[in-house]
Amino acid sequence: MQLMSRNLFAQLEKSINNRKDTFLITITDYPDNKTLGAKALLWPDGGFCTDDSLLPQDVKDLLIAQCSKLVAKRRSGAVKFVWKDSKIECFAEYFPAPLHLIVAGAGHVCEPVAEMGRMLGFFVTVIDDREEFANRERFPFASEVVCQSYLHYFRNVDISEKTYILLLTRGHKYDVLSLNELLKRNSQAGYIGMIGSRRRISGVFKELQQDFPDESFDNLYTPVGLDIGAETPAEIAVSIMAEILKVKNQKSGNSLNTQIKKYAKMGFHEGAGKWTKCSS
Amino acid sequence: MDQMQLIKRAMEVRKGGEKAAIATIIRTKGSTPRKTGSRMIVFPCGRIEGTIGGGCGEAEVIEKALEVIQSNTPSQKRVDLTKGLFFEDGGICGGIMDVFIEPI
Repeated sequence: MQLMSRNLFAQLEKSINNRKDTFLITITDYPDNKTLGAKALLWPDGGFCTDDSLLPQDVKDLLIAQCSKLVAKRRSGAVKFVWKDSKIECFAEYFPAPLHLIVAGAGHVCEPVAEMGRMLGFFVTVIDDREEFANRERFPFASEVVCQSYLHYFRNVDISEKTYILLLTRGHKYDVLSLNELLKRNSQAGYIGMIGSRRRISGVFKELQQDFPDESFDNLYTPVGLDIGAETPAEIAVSIMAEILKVKNQKSGNSLNTQIKKYAKMGFHEGAGKWTKCSS
Repeated sequence: MDQMQLIKRAMEVRKGGEKAAIATIIRTKGSTPRKTGSRMIVFPCGRIEGTIGGGCGEAEVIEKALEVIQSNTPSQKRVDLTKGLFFEDGGICGGIMDVFIEPI
């Protein structure tokens, strides 16, 4: 068996692009050399497919059963078992679905955000209701560009803790409308960031509180981004993506050198406050 | 996506008709330079793409991979990094890893 058929590889790519957790299984020990290296795909919902026609059905069933622990833990690993007095070993490799970054509002800030999002490994969707903004030419780096009303999009899109949403729309009524849909959903996004001035934000909250008086907005970050003095679209994108990473990785977002300061009394002064600020 | 990169590359190499082998770490024990799922492509001339951790262990795997290219049959190689330089005084060099090598 040679590596993997083009068809199976395409299925693996498609599955990840569709944001599905996927396991690639390789037979790494088998009584018959012809089956050594055979590949299969396994999904947490029990879905299974292989490009090896020589694999007996009961071995397939055993593979699925033996890998179930790894699948439940979402971890890669090798599993050994016995079938008809022969040793079989398989390697189940976990391909986690990429996190989904949804950027609503395809304006200036959206461009660097979409590009950086891809750099950081997110599946990036750009959504806007205006065709002249939501198009491929403006967003060659996005994984997907959707031209649809915010209301319909946020009513139907899959939402989970792996979904990161940015509201960069052109007016606060679109933010209200989007948040309205998102708050009605059963599942919660991992992060919702909303760009805006203090006035715009208080306007949005006032309107939302009428319909959702008990909502605490725990996962809503607004104004969006970390405090790094960002002004240009690219700078704002850095500030936003830094905040998203901070939330994803559950870190403080502080400069790492605050920890180093503790060592200053031992005579270690790097970054401990002696730098003269560069003014350029 | 990083994890897919070498598989994608291997598919390209095969499409181009070039012979090669791909090595994948399938199991680690103790301290190893790279994790399970790390890959390396080995070409018949000994050139590599990607790494499974470098050093003597990697050299052993490259040697085995050349055999795999010859025989066109997948094989496994156990790399024992505990028998390192300082093995005599306690084995600071780390762990063991199992590597699966298959022709592309």
